[in-house]
Amino acid sequence: MEVQKEAQRIMTLSVWKMYHSRMQRGGLRLHRSLQLSLVMRSARELYLSAKVEAHEPPEVPSSVARSPDPRLHPPREAQAAAEAASTDGEQPCPEPMDTQEAPKAEETPARCAPRPAKVSRKRRSSSLSDGGDAGLVPSKKARLEEEGAEEGESAEVPERLQAPPAQAEGAFPNLARVLQRRFSGLLNCSPSAPPTAPPPPACEAKPACRSADSVLNVLVRAVVAF
Amino acid sequence: MVPFHFIHTWYQIIREQVKKKGDWFQNTSLEITLWTLTLMATLQSDIISTVEFNHSGELLATGDKGGRVVIFQQEQENKIQSHSRGEYNVYSTFQSHEPEFDYLKSLEIEEKINKIRWLPQKNAAQFLLSTNDKTIKLWKISERDKRPEGYNLKEEDGRYRDPTTVTTLRVPVFRPMDLMVEASPRRIFANAHTYHINSISINSDYETYLSADDLRINLWHLEITDRSFNIVDIKPANMEELTEVITAAEFHPNSCNTFVYSSSKGTIRLCDMRASALCDRHSKLFEEPEDPSNRSFFSEIISSISDVKFSHSGRYMMTRDYLSVKIWDLNMENRPVETYQVHEYLRSKLCSLYENDCIFDKFECCWNGSDSVVMTGSYNNFFRMFDRNTKRDITLEASRENNKPRTVLKPRKVCASGKRKKDEISVDSLDFNKKILHTAWHPKENIIAVATTNNLYIFQDKVN
Repeated sequence: MEVQKEAQRIMTLSVWKMYHSRMQRGGLRLHRSLQLSLVMRSARELYLSAKVEAHEPPEVPSSVARSPDPRLHPPREAQAAAEAASTDGEQPCPEPMDTQEAPKAEETPARCAPRPAKVSRKRRSSSLSDGGDAGLVPSKKARLEEEGAEEGESAEVPERLQAPPAQAEGAFPNLARVLQRRFSGLLNCSPSAPPTAPPPPACEAKPACRSADSVLNVLVRAVVAF
Repeated sequence: MVPFHFIHTWYQIIREQVKKKGDWFQNTSLEITLWTLTLMATLQSDIISTVEFNHSGELLATGDKGGRVVIFQQEQENKIQSHSRGEYNVYSTFQSHEPEFDYLKSLEIEEKINKIRWLPQKNAAQFLLSTNDKTIKLWKISERDKRPEGYNLKEEDGRYRDPTTVTTLRVPVFRPMDLMVEASPRRIFANAHTYHINSISINSDYETYLSADDLRINLWHLEITDRSFNIVDIKPANMEELTEVITAAEFHPNSCNTFVYSSSKGTIRLCDMRASALCDRHSKLFEEPEDPSNRSFFSEIISSISDVKFSHSGRYMMTRDYLSVKIWDLNMENRPVETYQVHEYLRSKLCSLYENDCIFDKFECCWNGSDSVVMTGSYNNFFRMFDRNTKRDITLEASRENNKPRTVLKPRKVCASGKRKKDEISVDSLDFNKKILHTAWHPKENIIAVATTNNLYIFQDKVN
């Protein structure tokens, strides 16, 4: 549980840093983004493996039955929100070509994220890799592809929980997915979920220390930015 | 000796006295070298981003975040007092790069000088390359200490004389004037890098140089600005598959066909340009297998190499990652021949260092002239030197408070855990905002330049 909280905190921190780095002069730094995404990926794996360990015994039988609904509906809602946000974000601010590849690369999420409710994501990431170089095309199209793929995979079983790292090779996890997972996680958890660890001294705005609502605002703004 | 009124406003110079006497030792041994402060210059408005001595050591260039370059010159040794080494004074200041805006990508291009590299001197003028994230410039720094006087058609102030008033003719002559140092951009090498330039390195043929960004390395000719050759390209076809970036690159000091580049994964690749036009396949790959006992959450980040430097001899190269300095023999690829821990006590603090972004700091390293000592920076304004022969190391501090005139730098010690002895500093009281990222060692003498955030310190060994 402690591990989970710590991992969650680091994930939030990484997301915040990634968002913040785009505001810097000089634009997105490839090396920094790569490092942040590596940490984010490790944190996510840690978080999810800790969560799996905690939830595995009771959930395995029930999740199969549950999975069609939660998988289809929340992701779609979140996708719609993210889509709307990102199209808004992209019109005023045309993404630089090279740095756009990075966020597009984020389409391959660490969605390879093994999680009971999001199992189908993994498959989707591989199909998206082919279309991943539609990096020049706004994310809307990519998401439409995902939705199509997703519907065909509703029968997935949770065995995919332990994702082979090959799927996780995407350097830039899909920020929207991560954020969506983050705030859905936060909503599910108690309001005390935002970690109580001491705030990073260098950061002025520390999402981890705010209430869940503020975190939501920050994260939604981050999605818009991407 | 440059008169005081030439000292530019960029640097406010506080001069400390240096003890002068006797001989000095060419081969530095840390046990007998005592360092004293000879110059501390405060950059009033900006953060120093690079420091580099020229090939003779007479000039020291610094670049800052505001795009300015300041060059210090060592005053010529007084032949009478042959035991004293000259002090450094400001020689020239110029604005190398300006902030730019990339309209296509809607991105601002920072004017911060990432690297400066000197060309060897071929004539009276000095040349250096300075680069920001996107553009490299070749600057010519020349002195003017004479000017022509006695024109027939012009007055001294430049106004034209009425030709009817000219009754005699004279030949203009050169007369001495106050020294003026001029910097002019001779070449601008632009538009060749999509990503941010992190290194430039001049080839030993003194005709070509390389520039490296996160994914590509380009080869330029110093005379030709409208094209460059791409010699390394590690960009994957699918950016989602990106796993490593180039962090530093350097040409071999003697072999003009050889260069190395380091990666964010802790590997160094040596490439031979004779093998093929595109050096994507390395000739040698230097990589040390990770110690499984040290594996942690942040292992991947701290193994990223922030600097790579060849030794003057060309036999060895040194790499700096977050916690250590490694020396590699070019003939052995599977592990370094020497490893020095810079601040191992930080290994347990990686999470906090991630939070305050210090884990991303890119420290540089340097060799002394004889390749016997290596130096690198740390936090709390500490810098470390490692003697390769005696295996001794020393930690020194660059701070104004502790350096009174005529005193020698006292070695510092950080107490990692347990009881703190007197004069030791505990890890928790280190100031992580005070970091020394850039250091340089004079190519021939025991003079070092150490840059804290906005102060430049020049130390030399105490001669007695």
